[in-house]
Amino acid sequence: MIGVEALTRGYGSRIAVDNVSFRVEPGEIVGFLGPNGAGKTTTLRMLTGYLAPTSGDIRIDGIDAVTHSIRARERLGYMAEGVPLYSDMRVHEYLRHRGALKRVPNLAEAVDLSLDLAGVADARTRILGQLSKGYRQRVGLADALIADPPILILDEPTSGLDPNQVRQFRELVRGFRGKKTVLLSTHILSEVEAVCDRVIIIREGKKVADLAPGDSEKSLEDVFAELTTTAATGDPS
Amino acid sequence: MRTAWVVLKRELSSFFVSPLAYVVLTSWLVWNGVVFWVLAEFYSRNAVSSGASNPLSGFFGGSALFFIPLLVFVPVLTMRLVAGEKQSGTLETLMTAPVSEASVILGKYGAGLVMWCTLWLPTLVYAWIMSQHGSVDWGAIEASYFGIFFLGAYFMAIGLLMSVLAPTQIIAAVLSFVTIGVLFTIGIGEFVLDGVAREVCAYLSMWGHMQSFSKGVVDTRYLVFDLSVAVLAVGLSIGALKARRAG
Ligand SMILES: Nc1ncnc2c1ncn2[C@@H]1O[C@H](COP(=O)(O)OP(=O)(O)O)[C@@H](O)[C@H]1O
Ligand SMILES: [Mg+2]
Repeated sequence: MIGVEALTRGYGSRIAVDNVSFRVEPGEIVGFLGPNGAGKTTTLRMLTGYLAPTSGDIRIDGIDAVTHSIRARERLGYMAEGVPLYSDMRVHEYLRHRGALKRVPNLAEAVDLSLDLAGVADARTRILGQLSKGYRQRVGLADALIADPPILILDEPTSGLDPNQVRQFRELVRGFRGKKTVLLSTHILSEVEAVCDRVIIIREGKKVADLAPGDSEKSLEDVFAELTTTAATGDPS
Repeated sequence: MRTAWVVLKRELSSFFVSPLAYVVLTSWLVWNGVVFWVLAEFYSRNAVSSGASNPLSGFFGGSALFFIPLLVFVPVLTMRLVAGEKQSGTLETLMTAPVSEASVILGKYGAGLVMWCTLWLPTLVYAWIMSQHGSVDWGAIEASYFGIFFLGAYFMAIGLLMSVLAPTQIIAAVLSFVTIGVLFTIGIGEFVLDGVAREVCAYLSMWGHMQSFSKGVVDTRYLVFDLSVAVLAVGLSIGALKARRAG
């Protein structure tokens, strides 16, 4: 479960996330949709404890993530935007390292399992700095999965993948339905329609919609287009 | 604290597979080899010398040649510790794992200390060479390495702090170069000023520090100073890493 209440974050005097509230129920897959610069990454970074909120409340599995950050992080698997990796390490060394940081018991087993789940078992001895974008993404996912956390937070997990890899990735995420709580950000609408139970749309730091595909009279596409084009023209209509 | 160990191990394995490690270690050994050779020549030609009484104590404390390379090598060894992770973006994956700032900083600092000791370990050969050609004051050598370890605890902590504060590795290196350079220069005030100022400079003096250790005198005032700076800089590094989240 993820619960966010009146979350606000500024960089200096600029507000990047403005009074955002939402919930993600256990087992739900929720898309966090918005154009570039909307404040998706900033929000996810607050959920994962990388950034402190300026104000507001975050609950991760009922734990206050602002005051008990480490305990909250133990419940999370996070894939950061662009998947930063230690380019000098090999895939299995990296996952071993990450598993050790997360205090995973039976480390060798956990590494193998996460390699299999994320579909990178064939690259286990390759050097991270030499991997293609698709493989980097999967190593990031293997890292997010290694401690078998109940909650996954994925920031633009399919950006830079080719259509085939995107399809594989979506299938994988669909497999988490009912098993893990997933919040994934994207600026691509079709992504949400393909895998998510529900979508939260943000624009210029503010939440502008929270709906299930098919909730609305209009198609999701129209809603998104309407919301984002008014942002682009600055016309509040 | 188990996570500090995990951080330390990764830091060291990444350092020792990097080309940087070999460039640093090789140029360090070349530099010190030349310094040691020059000093050995000097003492063999001038049997009764001023200051230090033999090449080894000259090596460890008698000359600015000891400090000049440190001004370069300390920044180069410490710049990557945290600033490198900021630049590659991996600080985000590191700090979103369930780890405390303190264990990350202690792991990085421990790795820095191991790198420091790796620099100095090969210089034991000089002591061995000297022992083959005459008598060696092993007590003074022990004291010298003791002093070097504490000096390293102090220098590496300053380098670490700069690496936490700086956005990039290059800026971290420049900041620690300037900081250590200024501290070194203040110490020279011991020979220039008088009164209280002279006392303060003498207390801060790295030169006086190593001169006393190299003669086998373990001066606890220097140890207290080194440890205080180290504890302060490591504490500030932890604080600065915590403050980053709000920044
Ligand atoms: N470290 C930062 N410093 C200053 N401004 C930032 C920083 N990170 C993001 N921003 C700004 O905050 C806004 C939201 O950014 P971000 O959360 O990255 O959006 P998204 O992930 O939706 O593309 C943008 O206007 C961006 O320029
Ligand atoms: Mg983003």
